[in-house]
Formats: sequence, C-alpha cells, structure tokens
Amino acid sequence: MFDKPWITIVWDDPVNLMSYVTFVFIKLFGFSKEKAHELMMQVHTNGRAVVSSGTREEMERDVQRLHDHGLWATLARDDQG
Amino acid sequence: MSEFIREGDIYSLDLTIDEAHILINLVEQLLELLGEGDFHHHYDENDPFAQLMSQLKAAPEEIAPPEDPVLMRLLPNAYADPEAAADFRRFTEPTLRGNKQRTLRAVRESLSEMVDLEQAGIVDDIDAELWLMAINDLRLALSVRLDINEESHDVFESLPDSDPQKSIYAVYFWLGWLQESLLELLTQ
Repeated sequence: MFDKPWITIVWDDPVNLMSYVTFVFIKLFGFSKEKAHELMMQVHTNGRAVVSSGTREEMERDVQRLHDHGLWATLARDDQG
Repeated sequence: MSEFIREGDIYSLDLTIDEAHILINLVEQLLELLGEGDFHHHYDENDPFAQLMSQLKAAPEEIAPPEDPVLMRLLPNAYADPEAAADFRRFTEPTLRGNKQRTLRAVRESLSEMVDLEQAGIVDDIDAELWLMAINDLRLALSVRLDINEESHDVFESLPDSDPQKSIYAVYFWLGWLQESLLELLTQ
C-alpha cells in the first residue's frame, strides 16, 4: 500500500505576532492573503492548524523552513487520511 | 524613537544610539547562546579544498535536545515522538542553528558601525526579511526568559518601575512594535 501522506502542523504560541505568522505563511507556501489569514486564525483560535501535506521528506522540509522563521511546527502522519 | 523607512525596495532603520546598543547587546547574547559547542575554524570555508574535505564530516551520532529553554524554543522538536525527533535533530539542527547565527550576524554587522562610532543615525539598505527574522528570534528568546503568556502585559505593567523585569519587558514590547512596523512596510 502507499504511505499515508504526512502533514505539517503549526502550533499556537503567545509570542509570534498574528501579522508575522500570516506573512510567513504567504512567504513559505505562496498562499493568498485570505488563505494565510484564515490559517493564522485557525492556529490562534484552535491552538493548531495543518498548513501543508505531502511526503514525509516534503513535510520535514516545511517544518525546517518554519523553524527557520521561529514558528512552532511539527510533522505527523495524517491519521484522518 | 526608532523607525523603519522604506523607499521603493530599499529599507533602512532610524535608531537612537541607546536603541542600537540594546539591539546589538541582545543580538550578541543570543549569538553566544547559539554558539554553544561551536568552535573556531582554522580554515577558510570558501576554499575549494576545505569544502571537499568537509564532506568527510559525518552526521553526529546524536545531538541531545538543548537544555536551555530558549534554545529549545528556537531549535524545537520536529516530531512529538522523541525517537523521530532525535533522528531529525541529528541531521538538521546544525543547519537550523547556523541559519539563525547567520541572520543575527548580519544584523550585528549592520549595527556595529553605529555602535562603534557612538552616533545615532540611519542604518542604510538593510535586508528587511533578515531583520524581521532576527527581531522575531530575539522576541522568542526574551519571551522564554520572561515567561510570556496571554496575561503578561497586565502583569508586567503593574510591576513597580524599579523592578528589572519591567525594563526587560519594555524591551520585549518595543521589539514587538518594531517588528509590527517593519511588517506593515513589507506588506504595503
């Protein structure tokens, strides 16, 4: 069977500015302003949001880029999948 | 009072000398913290032979998660599972650490002339995105030391002015303001 895809999760923290998180989402993932804002609000209100999905290698790269920017991110196997 | 300035694609920063001192001190303290286990290279990293030889350096057996909570925030685990997190850290932490050091060094570089001359003025033609990331890392580091949470603002505001924690919080708050103002210019 094919591997289930992996996901990148961004977690809420009380430090990163909402405008900064939105900016980083646009910069790293090329989201529209609206989409980036929506995901940022999800992080803020639900405590977490899935920002990307794909192979494990791709998600490791995304997590690393998010860590470069100081966002708190982890990857996991997508169990909803 | 400091401010970022944007003219077309050129960014600069107008700073008082006190602010330049505060920034460079924070940057240097964080560089020191990130430099843990770092060592002085006696070779030129750009030398082709040195580059060839560097391929001999294998990935370390294991890199323990940092004990300092500031470093743990800046170099966090990538997996909830400790074993997967350790494996990932072994291959990626040196790069992440190096990226953060490079960003902070660039900021230190652009501030050093002003600080050396003891003159307030404008730091010309800065790399706005590098500055944004550096300010963010400084805020993250201070937030761990100050134990920042959603209620912190009221708590710190109510402290007496003589409390040193209040002065540190004032710097943290200022950095947030500075970062927000740079973001406004970047997204104009």
